[in-house]
Amino acid sequence: MSAPVVVLAPEIILVVVAATIYVAGAFARSRDVWVWLALGGFLSAAVAMVMLSVGAVGGPISVDGMAIYVRWLALGLGALLLLTSSRPSGQGSTPEYVGSLLLTVAGVMLAAASRELVLLFMGLELVSIPTYILLYLGRRDAASQEAATKYFFLSILASAMLLYGFSFLYGATGSTHLAVIGQRLASPEAGSLWLARAAMVLVLAGLGFKIAAVPFHFYAPDVYQGTTHANAALLSVVPKLAGFVALVRVVDVALEGARDDAWPIVLILAVATMTVGNAMALWQQNLRRLLAYSSIAHAGYMLIALAVSMATGFGTTTAWEGMAALWLYLLVYAVATVGTFAALSCLGRGAESVQSVEELTGLPWTGGRVRPVLAWTIGLFMFSLAGIPPLAGFWGKLAVFASALSVEGPVEGIRGWFIVLAVVGVLNAAVAAAYYLRIIGVMFFRRPLGVPRVREGTGGALAVAIFSAVLAVAIGLGPGIWFRDARRAAIIEAEAPRPLPMAAGGVQTADAGLRPGGEVGQGVGFGSGL
Amino acid sequence: MFEIRTLAILIPALPLAAALVTAVLGKRVLRGASHWPSVAAIGLAWLASMALLIQVHRRASETAQQKGLAGYEQIIPVGWTWAAVDRAYLQSDLQPGAQQAGFRFRSFRIAIELRADPLTAVMLATVTFVSFLVAVYSVGYMHSDPGYWRFFTYINLFVFSMTMLVSVSNFLLLYVFWEAVGLCSYLLIGFWFRKPEAAAAGKKAFLVNRVGDFGFALGVFLLWITYGTLNFHDGADGTLGILGLGRLAGGPGLFVSGATGTAICLLLMLGACGKSAQLPLHVWLPDAMEGPTPVSALIHAATMVTAGVYMVARCSPLFVAGAGALEVVAVIGGLTALMAAIIAITQTDLKRILAYSTISQLGYMFLGLGAGTRVGITAGMFHLFTHAFFKALLFLGAGSVMHAMGGVIDIRRFGGLRRRLPVTHWTFLFGCLALAGLIPFAGFFSKDEILAAVHARAETHLLYEILYLAGIFTALLTAFYTFRAYFVTFHGAERIPEEAGEHAHESPRWMTVPLVILAIGSLVLGALFWWTEGFAHFLAKTPSLGYVTRYGWAATEGGSHLAVAVTSTLVAVAGIGLAWFLYPNRRQLVEQLARAADRVALYRLSAGKFFFDPLYLALVVRPLEGLARFSYAFDRYVIDTLVDGIGRMPVRLGASLRWSQGGMIKVYALGMVLGLLVLLGAMLW
Repeated sequence: MSAPVVVLAPEIILVVVAATIYVAGAFARSRDVWVWLALGGFLSAAVAMVMLSVGAVGGPISVDGMAIYVRWLALGLGALLLLTSSRPSGQGSTPEYVGSLLLTVAGVMLAAASRELVLLFMGLELVSIPTYILLYLGRRDAASQEAATKYFFLSILASAMLLYGFSFLYGATGSTHLAVIGQRLASPEAGSLWLARAAMVLVLAGLGFKIAAVPFHFYAPDVYQGTTHANAALLSVVPKLAGFVALVRVVDVALEGARDDAWPIVLILAVATMTVGNAMALWQQNLRRLLAYSSIAHAGYMLIALAVSMATGFGTTTAWEGMAALWLYLLVYAVATVGTFAALSCLGRGAESVQSVEELTGLPWTGGRVRPVLAWTIGLFMFSLAGIPPLAGFWGKLAVFASALSVEGPVEGIRGWFIVLAVVGVLNAAVAAAYYLRIIGVMFFRRPLGVPRVREGTGGALAVAIFSAVLAVAIGLGPGIWFRDARRAAIIEAEAPRPLPMAAGGVQTADAGLRPGGEVGQGVGFGSGL
Repeated sequence: MFEIRTLAILIPALPLAAALVTAVLGKRVLRGASHWPSVAAIGLAWLASMALLIQVHRRASETAQQKGLAGYEQIIPVGWTWAAVDRAYLQSDLQPGAQQAGFRFRSFRIAIELRADPLTAVMLATVTFVSFLVAVYSVGYMHSDPGYWRFFTYINLFVFSMTMLVSVSNFLLLYVFWEAVGLCSYLLIGFWFRKPEAAAAGKKAFLVNRVGDFGFALGVFLLWITYGTLNFHDGADGTLGILGLGRLAGGPGLFVSGATGTAICLLLMLGACGKSAQLPLHVWLPDAMEGPTPVSALIHAATMVTAGVYMVARCSPLFVAGAGALEVVAVIGGLTALMAAIIAITQTDLKRILAYSTISQLGYMFLGLGAGTRVGITAGMFHLFTHAFFKALLFLGAGSVMHAMGGVIDIRRFGGLRRRLPVTHWTFLFGCLALAGLIPFAGFFSKDEILAAVHARAETHLLYEILYLAGIFTALLTAFYTFRAYFVTFHGAERIPEEAGEHAHESPRWMTVPLVILAIGSLVLGALFWWTEGFAHFLAKTPSLGYVTRYGWAATEGGSHLAVAVTSTLVAVAGIGLAWFLYPNRRQLVEQLARAADRVALYRLSAGKFFFDPLYLALVVRPLEGLARFSYAFDRYVIDTLVDGIGRMPVRLGASLRWSQGGMIKVYALGMVLGLLVLLGAMLW
């Protein structure tokens, strides 16, 4: 077995488990078996990750710091999402649901590890296609079907844009390997870069859909509202994870030559995404719709970090800090968002889950043992999403804004732009606090109107909510190790491929490929000492 | 056990521990016995201070043999670094000897370190002794007060802060405890906070002190950027402290002079004016008499208000270096002494007479410091020392009168109390004689030394000639107003207000014993130390004062001057005689005199306290209130409207975008493609 295949063992395990569940699901429809089997699949994938994480490669696969971080994050989030969705309303479709979930996680992991256009696109499609199935399986009413259809068509449009951009890259350089593309575009004989620039925009558009950046965000509110809480949780984190890892790989590494022209576009996208997301969220009464706009706004904050890393140039300390901020932000955002959806999915009236903010009125005071817990965890997640210390979300915002403020790029006036960007970001955070705090206000400071029931079979979701809450507090109180991990995630391998290693002597470690690997231990600035 | 290190830490630690114990247990457990931890802790702290004084005295005598040192000091680290900033801003062009302008960085470290030197030892002994007697007195005075435990908690907190204030060896820590004693003063003035006058007086004291503290803080900042350190002492790594032995040995060249040097001194003096109630910040002290009388005796007469004198004495090398700074100190002191004495003549509230007398005597101390000679500074400190005894005595005596008179303190409403309150009468008389400066009472020697020091400078400097005459005239007024109060209170026909009820008898032992002890102190201490000349010589071994001996104004040695002594005695006797002639029986003559004086507005000036309060009300308080009203209105109607408007903007923005979310899939796809095209256009153009 050649080396790349061994490195991809976790993904292979997930796909094999998923295929097994799909096939065997036809014969045994008890849902617990499949949930446990899927959890076992995640666990074995994790074991495979641990055993192979030192591993080495060349060719189309990369196990650099970013790949390792994102793959772990995908595995962890996959397990949380599995537990959250352990009660899909269509009782009969559990095997399909669980199998599709496994495949999306495998897709994110594959996208994270690939540094070659075809493999990358395959990973992204391995995220998208099972997601269509998940959306169809979620509920069986008209709204749900409409949401699934919308997502399907618009996702295909986005994939087409992305693929079109990839084809430009191949046409301009004659290679599908990202590092080679980067080298050829950077070489003096590359000539005009207009093809690369067009490819950059197309890639930004295609992946902008995945991360729900304005103006590619239109689907998000409708789809979130139409589907279940568990699916909304998945939509708000899994495509974002895949989208950002692909963006970093393509935009930051392969298109380094076009970067100087592109960072203003990312900057504008960031401002538009934050502002539109937050402004629209202010109006929402539907919980999932509100959280959809919230997830759009958070994509905007993360785009700030991406713009920082693009503007200062791959390899500089500031770019590295920006990338680290992006990964830290994604983590703290995912924890709070998945936790919120998990907590919400525990509540309902009969078969219906909670829909509007008003249904949470007075939740902590409605008695019972579970409802107060849910209310307090939701309150905690809202505070974390609003970025209030000492919770996890605060450190994410701090890292992002601090990286924007430390930009001192080669271009004249660049610093001023990023100061403006940081100010806009902070103002947006203030606006966002309005709707997060409104939820808290509705829950804690109003008399209960009606009492939403705690739905049966949601023990897994409750566990996810509590676990996420603990994590949000833990990250908030001890951000040091999370900063460290995020800094490690900012290590990207960008060297041109070598021939596959034949012997141990040719083995190349993940850290060695690149720059600030040496700085990991020292850490720059805040957080490291906490 | 009796090492300097142990003692120096023990002295502040004991009252702090007592404060914590009383604060925690006082209300529920100790209640009526709340005084025991305090009396014990302060008593032990006094014993420790005496032991420290003896140790320091011995060491200082030994060190005096060694040449080249400006004095004796020992630094006692407590082992706690309070603040440490690695690279703190420092301006270097002000640094003497540094040629290059611009700024640089130096580490800013504030370690809690105590110091032992003669000045600190004397201050500690004075503070703890008076505190001990006042604490004992308070057991009688404050009994059955509902805030009994609270009172002793505050008193202990004060003693802790005050002992730290005189022990620390760093300007920032000095500032910290400067504020801490201010806080205790505020808490104790407003001790009976249900009484509106007391609450207002506490607020006034705090606010007026803020003005001075602001100056002090600026002075500390300026010290940091000019000297690059805030420590008094030299660092272990060889860096020079501001008042360290190394810098002092190096002479005037190592001190910042010129405008910066003068500015530092004036800012520090502003702080001293606030704390020590000197012109123009003296207005808080008379009002502070709303607090319990033991508090007036301890904080507002004997100890806290002398912090400014201590600070200026400690910083005397800086004042020698800052041109004109000493003259400013002397003028402020002389003017304050004279003005407060004039006001005291017409007051009718016994405690306020004493308060103005305190202001006046503090003015004397600053006058002595302002002479800028070794003799002047030791005389100022000597007066601080004796004044602590006789002024505490007078206040406690006034408290005893007030106790017997059922809380009445207006001297027009009682009289002839000498038979009813024999102990109070005799001890009060001793205090008055000391305050009037009659030989052989303590006040005579210390005041005489100050006047002699000023007289010595007067030979070469016209300003000091004028200040000397003012000082002599103030001595006359002092004797007069002191004995006016004495004769009216204790002589003539016996008059007792109805509030006194059955209380009109001598106070309990808890109160009279401290009075007797203080009276003996007021009688003998001055002569004792003058005779042996021990005080001045011992104090001169303080590093700062050793420097002044060497580099300050040269002046004749010896603490007294026969002509000055005779003059001041004569005017004191004249003042006493005048008071005896006029009071309490010649009321018509007094009124005629007052009317005569009022032809040149003198009486009105005095009774109106030179109209400082209405002046400040019109010039400071009213304009600030106006500004506050304007700011409120501006905030309410302009800022709030703006903020509300801005707050509505995101909502409006959201509303204006809602059309885009129509739910039609083709519209969404069109939006995405249009977005792509716009981006493409932006990119390729």
